[in-house]
Amino acid sequence: MEWLIFGFLASWAFLSVMGVLFLKSPVHALLSFVSLVLAIAGMFLHLGAELLAGLQLIIYAVAIVVFYVFVITTVPWEKVKRFEGFYKREFFIGFPIMLVVFSIFAYAILTGDFAQVNVAGKDNVKEVGKSLFSTYLFPLEVASVILLTAMIGAVLLGRKEE
Amino acid sequence: MSIEKAYILISVFLFLSGALGVIIRKNLITLLISTELMLNGVNLALASVDRMVGGIEGQVFALFVLAVAASEVAVGLGLIVAIFRLKGYEGTSEIKHLRE
Repeated sequence: MEWLIFGFLASWAFLSVMGVLFLKSPVHALLSFVSLVLAIAGMFLHLGAELLAGLQLIIYAVAIVVFYVFVITTVPWEKVKRFEGFYKREFFIGFPIMLVVFSIFAYAILTGDFAQVNVAGKDNVKEVGKSLFSTYLFPLEVASVILLTAMIGAVLLGRKEE
Repeated sequence: MSIEKAYILISVFLFLSGALGVIIRKNLITLLISTELMLNGVNLALASVDRMVGGIEGQVFALFVLAVAASEVAVGLGLIVAIFRLKGYEGTSEIKHLRE
């Protein structure tokens, strides 16, 4: 049953990645990215990371995709038409390199040993929230500063020059 | 082969296809979507190692990766809009001032 779920989610993610890489229109690539985000949220649920799955849906599938849609609507379509699709020559050079690197990684993962402790907590959301607000309190505050900086930077970049 | 190793294989695939997409895509917006693919792959690897070890620290780190991804998208899309408005560029092959 576990492998059945894995096969379903993995093939779904594979098809979505192919869509992101090879579909011509940016809107279609964005739609297959949304499908990939949903598949990865399912993978997080299967791995027992419920809080991460929920946040993946909220942040990626809603906030980030809405950003992209806004930007796509501001760009005129006749400009985009000249630059859709992908470079053929770079693909035929880059794809074998990607295959080689993937096979090296796969060899290392399949033959290597990982640490096996396996004392999974019962309530994932409670555990993550507790350690986020006690052990990792300072990195959380730094993350809020990073978000504020990014917001100010985006406003400055998008502002019209006087 | 355990199920966690299979998920780590999927995450390596996601990361490498994101890198390939950054190299081959023509449009600036799809290039940013490919970087999102790479970040998703890293998050998946963190979550699967977390289940293997039985901890939660990887998920906490993945939350910080999500925050960085959100801010990266805000700044990156602001840059794309600024480049388009100032220069009229929309393709990756048009930005080559450093090369010439």
